[in-house]
Parts: sequence; structure tokens; C-alpha cells
Amino acid sequence: MASLPTNRRQFLAAGAGGAFASLLPASLLHAQPTNGKTLTIVLPSNPITIDPINQLNHDAMVLGQTVFENLVEYDADGVLKPQLAKALPVISADKKTYTFELRDDVTFQNGKKMTAEDVKYSFDYLLDANNKALRRPLFTRITKVTVLDPLKVQFELSEPYGPWLYFLTKYMGIFPAGSRKEHGDDYFKTKPVGMGTGFGMFEEWKPNDYISFKKNPNYWRKGLPAWDRLVVKMIPEDATRVAYLLTGQVDIISAPPPREFNRLKTMPGVTGASRPTLGGALLMFTNNLKAPLDDVNFRKALSCAIDRKTIGDKVYYGLLDPSAVPAPPRGYWYDAAADKELGFDLDRAKEYLAKSKYPTGAEIDISIQAEPYLLDTKDAAIFLQAQLAKIGVKINLKVYEFSVLIQQIARGEHQMAMQVFMSPGEASYLIQNTLTPGQFLSKSTGYDNPELNALMVTAFAETEQAKIKEVYGKIQAIIARDAPLGVLGYVHASNLWRDSVKDFKVNQALTISVGEVKV
Amino acid sequence: MLRLIAGRIVSSIGTLLFVGFALFALTRSGPGSPARIVLGADATAEQIAQFEQANGLDRPFVAQYGSWLSDILHGDFGRSFVTGRDVAVEIFNSLPVTLSIVLFAFAIAVGFGVGIGILAALRPGGVFDRVSRFASVVGLSIPAFWLGIVLIRFIAVDLRWLPPGGYVPLSAGLSAHLKTILMPAVSLAIYYVAVLARMTQASLQETLRGDYVRTARAMGLSSRQVVLYALVNALPPVINLAALSFGYMFGWALIIEQVFNVPGLSRALLNAISQRDFLLLQGIVFLFTVIFVVANLAADLVNRVLDPRQRVAA
Repeated sequence: MASLPTNRRQFLAAGAGGAFASLLPASLLHAQPTNGKTLTIVLPSNPITIDPINQLNHDAMVLGQTVFENLVEYDADGVLKPQLAKALPVISADKKTYTFELRDDVTFQNGKKMTAEDVKYSFDYLLDANNKALRRPLFTRITKVTVLDPLKVQFELSEPYGPWLYFLTKYMGIFPAGSRKEHGDDYFKTKPVGMGTGFGMFEEWKPNDYISFKKNPNYWRKGLPAWDRLVVKMIPEDATRVAYLLTGQVDIISAPPPREFNRLKTMPGVTGASRPTLGGALLMFTNNLKAPLDDVNFRKALSCAIDRKTIGDKVYYGLLDPSAVPAPPRGYWYDAAADKELGFDLDRAKEYLAKSKYPTGAEIDISIQAEPYLLDTKDAAIFLQAQLAKIGVKINLKVYEFSVLIQQIARGEHQMAMQVFMSPGEASYLIQNTLTPGQFLSKSTGYDNPELNALMVTAFAETEQAKIKEVYGKIQAIIARDAPLGVLGYVHASNLWRDSVKDFKVNQALTISVGEVKV
Repeated sequence: MLRLIAGRIVSSIGTLLFVGFALFALTRSGPGSPARIVLGADATAEQIAQFEQANGLDRPFVAQYGSWLSDILHGDFGRSFVTGRDVAVEIFNSLPVTLSIVLFAFAIAVGFGVGIGILAALRPGGVFDRVSRFASVVGLSIPAFWLGIVLIRFIAVDLRWLPPGGYVPLSAGLSAHLKTILMPAVSLAIYYVAVLARMTQASLQETLRGDYVRTARAMGLSSRQVVLYALVNALPPVINLAALSFGYMFGWALIIEQVFNVPGLSRALLNAISQRDFLLLQGIVFLFTVIFVVANLAADLVNRVLDPRQRVAA
């Protein structure tokens, strides 16, 4: 205490000195981006991991997909094609054995050549329950991975299950044998230097600001990537994200605000495009076990009372393709007849309501998400409130944060809930998770129909599109009959980018694809 | 004096302990678990139970609070459940960013607020008085986030004078640094400029009406000397308000950092709230509380240095 400044002058001098000193650490803590051909993209959310086997957020998957690759890739156009494998797998007659031949020219970013041992190690690690990989449940039908020779690997499945190939791009990655034990999970989560075969090598993660990667000079696809450095910035505020693009601070942004999208894409120096996702659905989780949604006619009345086209056109400015069934209108497995059965028709809605246990209408609480993800569901919920009032159904809006809402839905505590649900973009994921028992969202609807369950098993065993379409046609007919899940439509992935960016393609799977982009 | 300071420090520690308990209770009583954020929407009940056990979230509330308090007293803020990073390191990395904006905003608020207030008080009804009234109405009426968006729109997007957001540290050059913190600091400061101007004006005008000022004038002191004496006596309430403002600015920085995409402490706090990152949330709010308490303590001490009457009263 004796050293405290004792007069005003000393006090002010000490204060000024302290203020100046407090600025200094900032200078020591922040590295600056380097110059060169840098591609800067923006995410609207803050990622918590780079590790693909534990990734949650679909926007953030660009991080894992920059560092890690897979045997096959479900690409930006929704086409399954070989990546680290030479060709698509050879599938046995019983559809339970998949054999992959690997490329001979792939090295990890640590310089080690990639072999079948690495593939086996990666899958064995994923499938070991002790490792608690978040995405393990998607692959548990794989019972054994065998190295046939250094460049050939075989997968044995407990039952026919075709969809697993489509899940690889989003939820898996190949890493060097022994690497998890050597470095630990936190290394893969926050700084996976040298761990993948991808076009970008991890460089730096500045929390709440950006994650950067540098070009992999030994990437097996010669000439790629066309940039020297990739910076992935996190900017949650819509207006700020757009300002960054307009001022040339960033090259590509995802999830621009829908009502501004059409105007922004015509701004000088800016290009924009959107395309329907195959797996992003705006859903109404209707709890079939709670009144009044326990009545099939009431559920069908709700479905038929909703004008999805107006929601798509006027509420979401064309960034939502209307669909009343869990299949995207652009997907090959989509069934138009089923969609029509549950589609907008106010007279039929009134007829269904009259046949239900609640002919005079009812009151429903609908839970919605506070933070917008892709689309702001509050906009649709307000519109829905007005639409359903026309058939005497009163909607009470309840707003929750994501972490609370998802818990409510997973436990079946909701009456009705609205949320954008992202899936990998193949036919099975959404239906299996929400309409069959034993899944993480089974209680979101409480629906359990042995006929549908059996058809899903049949669908899993099919690998030809025509046969898959046929089975899903039957599944959608059941869904049209029972209306166990409310679907409003499928969202578009949309991006805006600077004119200086070339060869950029909007990804049907939402995640920004940057491997082939030129700056 | 020393006894008084010791007393204030003891009461400040009491305040921190109370806030710490309330903070811990509030974060734990809200719905939602960090397990859902870390493990995802499709996590099973078993996975969530495993996560909560591994991170001690299944322990009784009192046991969790005891451990947290003990760790804090040992300088250990723990590791984030969500990112796995050391909370102290996370705070240390973000604090200088927020501090540089808040200090700059504080300097603007005090410089302009007190300056305008003094000039307005010296010439009641004059130009500065009118400017002060107008600035007060504008400053008090404009929401900081709206001003931030407007500044981005016109200064950054249309005129291209300043970057739309982000943060460049001082090491990259004073000019570049100031360019990134100018708009956030102005947005943050505008309200406090108005408040401090009004308070300074009112306090100084009242002081200038005092008997001792009239006596000083009668004794032949120059106007400059009289104003200086009056100012010293008028400052205590302004200093108290400035100290409170400094603390409040950390709260408002929550919104400003979001608007200007500044990777500071407030941004980390918002993420911690949405991700139910309890330890990071508690660490940051606790730090804000410490800053608030220290700012008030500092204001008390400054007032005692400036105003002999307070020392005598003590």
C-alpha cells in the first residue's frame, strides 16, 4: 500500500501507463495472415472440432474435408465417386462384403504412404466403442475390416446396408495407422497436423476468429488446390458476413440471409447461386403419442392445411422447395403421388379434421429454435399460425435454444417442434432416424410401424437406384397414409462469392467445397 | 486510509464470493446440457451419461461448486467441456482484444463526455450547451448495435474508409489497429458520452453556484483558477459514474463484438452461453465481476485522492 501514487499527477501517470500496458499483450498474441493466393471463406457458426468422426455441424465439415479424405466421396452434385479408392467397391452377391482397391499414389501429410493398413486402423478406431466416436452408430453394421494386400481392403457387414458409403464424406476420414494412440483425440480435434491425405494442411486455429490451412504440396490430385492458403473465418452476424464479402475481405460466404440473397447476388463484384440440398429438410416433429397429434386424421388435416408453396416463395424467397414427404423433390426417390396426398388442400384439411377426434379444432404448442440455422424457422412458424387458424387449430409458439430444443425432441417431451434437419442427402437417414424404433430421434414422432420397418430393411439391401426408388415409393405411400411426420420442404444451399473466385460450385450437401476453387 | 482500503477490499471479496455462488447456481439451473452440444443431436442417453460422468456434471451441486471455488482460488479456471481448451488461456487470449476496445471507448466517452459537459456548464445556453443537449438526446436514443450496423454500411461498405470488422493487433501497426477498433469503440462509447456529458454539466454547474466559488471570485482568483477548483469538487460523482460505465461497457461489448465480428471476450462469452460451456461462462462472467468491483474500488480511491473531505470523513 505504501507504493500507491499519492498525488493526482502520479496517479494519472500510473493510470495512463496501465492503460497503455494493457494494450501490449494484444500485439503479442495475434499472428497476422500471410500474403499469397489466399482463399477466405466464412461460416456462420463457431466450430468445436476438426475431427470428422466427431463433427456435428454441417457447415464446419469443410474443416475435416480439407484435411481428411475417404474411400469414396459423395460429391457436390450428389454423385458417389471414388476418392482414395481406385473405383467404387466390388459388392458381393449377398451384399454384405465390400472390397475396395486403393490408389497407389496417395501419401499422408506427414509423408507416409497410405495403405490398406491405415484404412483398417481408421475404421477399427471408429468402431471401437471405447473411443466414443460420435459418428460410430452410423457404421456399426461393419463387423470386420480385413487387409487383403497393401492396396486392397475388405469390409464385412452384419446385414446388407448400402447407405454407409454415402455417410463417409460427412462423418469419416482416413488417418495414419497408430496416429490416434500417438497423438490423442485432442490433437485431431484442434490441430491435426500431418494426419490426413487432403488438399489442405492444418496451420492455425484462433478461437472465435479463424482456422487456417496451407496447401498440401504433395496432394495426389496434381494441380490442386489452386490456392496457397485457406482461411475459414467465423462470422455469426448476417449483416457483418455480407459486409465482409462486399468489401472484399472474404471470398465466399455461406448461409446469406434469404430475404437479401436475390439482391446481393446482383451486386457488382459479387456472384451468387443456390441449389436444393438433398438432405436439408424443414420438419415439424409431430409427437404421435400426444393429443391431439395422436389422431391420424388430425395430423393429415394439419398437413393439408399448410400452403408450402407460399412458405417457400414468400417466406423463404425461393430457398425452400415444398415437399410434404421426407424426400426432396429433386431426389430420385421422391414420390409425387405421396406428396400430393399430404399437400395443400384446405377443403380436404377440413374433411380430415371433421373425421378426427377433434372436429372443432385444438390448441398445440410448437417448439421452435431461437437461433436461425440455414433458415429462421420463426418466420415459417408465424405463417403456420395464421394458416392453421383457418381450420380452427390454435398454435402457441415456444422458443428454445438449440441445445434445449433438441433434448426436448429427442426425449419426446414436445407436442410439435419445428427445426431444419440436415442429413447426408441419401434416402434412408431421415426416415430411419425419425420413423423407426431405437434411433436417436425415434421419440420425436413416437411412430413404430412394422410394415415400414420391414421396407427399410429391404431398401438397405438394394444398391440399384431403380429398385431403391420403388421401395421408397412404398415407404412414402405409408407415410402419406399415416402422416407421422410433418415436412414443409427441403432447403437450398446458397452461397455468395467474389467474382475473383472461379470454379466454385454450390454443394447440394451444404458444406462449402473448396478443393477445386481457383482464386 | 489504509484501514478504509482494507475494508473495501474485504467487502469486495464478499461481493465476489456471493456473485460466484449466484453465477454457479444460475448456470447449473438452466435447461440444456453441454453434452448435447459436444455429442450432438443424435447422441444416445448412454453417451450423454458417460459424458456427464467424465466431466463431473453428475455430481451434487454443492460438490461441483466446492471444486470450482477451490480451483479458482488456486488460479485454475478448468478446461472447457466443449473445446477442451484451458479456460484461463482462452480468457487470456481474448481479454486484450476486448480491453483495447473498451479502453478506447472509455477514453472517447470520458474525453468527449467530460469535455462537452465542462464547456456546456461554463456557458449555459451557449453553443456547447445546445450541442451537449443534442448529443445527449442522440447518444441516449441510438442503440449501439444499430449504430454499429449503420457505421458498417456507410463507413466500411460504401466509403471503404475502414474495414467492416475484425481485429488487428497493435503489433501490426498503430494505424491498422486503430482502424479496426475505431467503429466498435465509437458505437460502444456514444451512450456514455451522452451520460457523462450530462452528469459533468450538472455537477459543475451546481458547484459553480457554491458559496466558496463566489468567495474565491471575490478574493480575486482568475476565472481559470476558479473553474479548476470547482472542477475538482465537481468530479467525484462523474468519476463514480465513469467507473460504473467502464464496468457496463464490458456488458455492452457483448453486442458490439458480435456486430463487428471481433474475436474478444464477449464473443467467447456468447459462444459459451449457447454451447452451455459452463466453466468458460463462469470464468468470463467472474472476470467481468472482478473488473466491475475493481473499477468501483478504484473510483473510491481516486475520489479520496481528489477530495480531502472524503479522507476527513473516513
